[in-house]
Amino acid sequence: MSLTPALELKGVRKVYDVAGQEVVALDHADLVVGADEIVVLVGPSGSGKTTLCSIAGALLSASEGTVIVDGNDITSFNAKQLTTFRRNKVGFVFQTVNLVPFLTARENLLVVDELAGRSGNRKAALKRADQLLGELGLADRRNNLPSQLSGGQRQRVAIGRSLMNNPGLVMFDEPTSALDSKTGEHVVDLIHHEMKERGTAAIIVTHDTRITKFADRTVRIDDGVVST
Amino acid sequence: MNITLREMRRSWGRFVLLAGSVTLLAFLILFQQAIQDGLITAFIGAIRNQNAPVLVYSLEGQRTPQASFLSPQQVKDISSVPGVGITARVQQSTYSVKVAGSDVDDASVIGTADPRLFFPRQLSQGRSPSAPDEAIGSSDFNLGDVVEIIPSPRGTPMSVKVVGIAENVRLYVTATLFTDIDTSTRIAQAYNPNTPAGLTNVVALIPDKGLDADELTESINSSVDDVDALTREQAAATAPGVAQVVQSFQVIFLLYALVVPLVTGLFFLILTLQKAQALTLLRAMGAQPSFLARSLLIQAAVVLIAGISIAVLLFLPLSQGGLGGLLSFNGRTVATWSAVLMTLGLASTAASLRMVLRIDPIKATAPGIEI
Repeated sequence: MSLTPALELKGVRKVYDVAGQEVVALDHADLVVGADEIVVLVGPSGSGKTTLCSIAGALLSASEGTVIVDGNDITSFNAKQLTTFRRNKVGFVFQTVNLVPFLTARENLLVVDELAGRSGNRKAALKRADQLLGELGLADRRNNLPSQLSGGQRQRVAIGRSLMNNPGLVMFDEPTSALDSKTGEHVVDLIHHEMKERGTAAIIVTHDTRITKFADRTVRIDDGVVST
Repeated sequence: MNITLREMRRSWGRFVLLAGSVTLLAFLILFQQAIQDGLITAFIGAIRNQNAPVLVYSLEGQRTPQASFLSPQQVKDISSVPGVGITARVQQSTYSVKVAGSDVDDASVIGTADPRLFFPRQLSQGRSPSAPDEAIGSSDFNLGDVVEIIPSPRGTPMSVKVVGIAENVRLYVTATLFTDIDTSTRIAQAYNPNTPAGLTNVVALIPDKGLDADELTESINSSVDDVDALTREQAAATAPGVAQVVQSFQVIFLLYALVVPLVTGLFFLILTLQKAQALTLLRAMGAQPSFLARSLLIQAAVVLIAGISIAVLLFLPLSQGGLGGLLSFNGRTVATWSAVLMTLGLASTAASLRMVLRIDPIKATAPGIEI
């Protein structure tokens, strides 16, 4: 297991310009997530949860502060570098859209490899995709399109996809919001199991307080201020 | 198979529809282009496909051989212009003719004083005339046909024998017979005994070695009064009616050439909007904008190549003798149109490309993605 923290945010600030007005989404946030730690990030709507996740997941640049993901300082990365970084180093499960509708479950995992230009080692990618889908209980659904899967199955495929590039950190943005409570609980249990088995760190953004029992730590965010 | 082609395979219906539209439009363009070429060839094939690089008409002849009359002095003056090499007097008249076993029809008789000038450049069958009353016929005739010239009431019957056949040498949509000038004079006088000998409608000529045909026409026009010297290409392109036909077809081609990119552009624009969420997800997963742009261009290219190829394959058999030989397969024309349609089709994806290149991956975190 690596001793390098999966995420280090030091004094991170994110300011948006909304119609000429400065809106502070993240206010000097400090956060360290251990290499295999599962952190649940809770807070009201508009508190800055998704912004924090987006900065940690290399989707967004911070206005101030330092962002280190899996030992890589990405603070000053440009858009192209951020794109390459998130392709290779982070996983993301989004709130709503997680799968490419015209690709099967298996192809949704393989596309991660294709984007990284690793198509040359197709056999290894196929093996890994099938292994992930098997672990997620989707071996018999690998050739189904997203439209042929239930909400829970789709979310499980998304988890598989987020793990396909062996990330050091995976972000889950409201992973249960579109699921019924029973399926939601099952999905979070699965996330916990998969992360712990791989020693991968995770940040789970949620409103659902029942999820906190699966976390190593709960972090609260209010008006962009992180309180651990 | 990569993501680009997998999408096409899974959504084959919509891509087939677009390729079908491209096929239809490309086929119509090729078909109309062939009709235009066929019509123009039927109008002025005899001028375009004859062997004299320069033709001189009388000014009042309005670039029509039959309406042009050159005086002996003008013929002499033309021959004396510096740079003029070989010259030949040319006569042209239209008669009613009859071949045994068929109906009376019209035919142009073109007589030349020198077979090196104003004879078809290429024969598809037979040989050039070597004796009086022999002729090269357009493809309306068969080798060995004896063509009877129907005389006027005061005239006497006369016949010529077709000893050679040339393709695409009709004149003003009538069959054509190429003879030596003595034969054409005899035909004219047999038809109407009052026809004077020595009439010249056109002077055909070859410039001296090293002299450009364009330069020579300018030189003739400036030094000989009331004549209109033209290169072979000018004489064909500016013959009465040709420019109008070309202009009418150009309007049609312009419309088609606008419809192809419009259809392709709108298709990919709608497709891009429809799959905005998937594209945003791919960007969030680490797809560079150039990857998505390349994917879009590959899809457009595949559809256009398929559509144009099918159109060419449909047109190919039709052009082999379709519409009584009016349609012909011109490889250069087909290649040019294919290139034009490909270029316009790919250019039409510019709006979609712009949209794809501007996708912000952060929107993957927001429900109800729009781009």
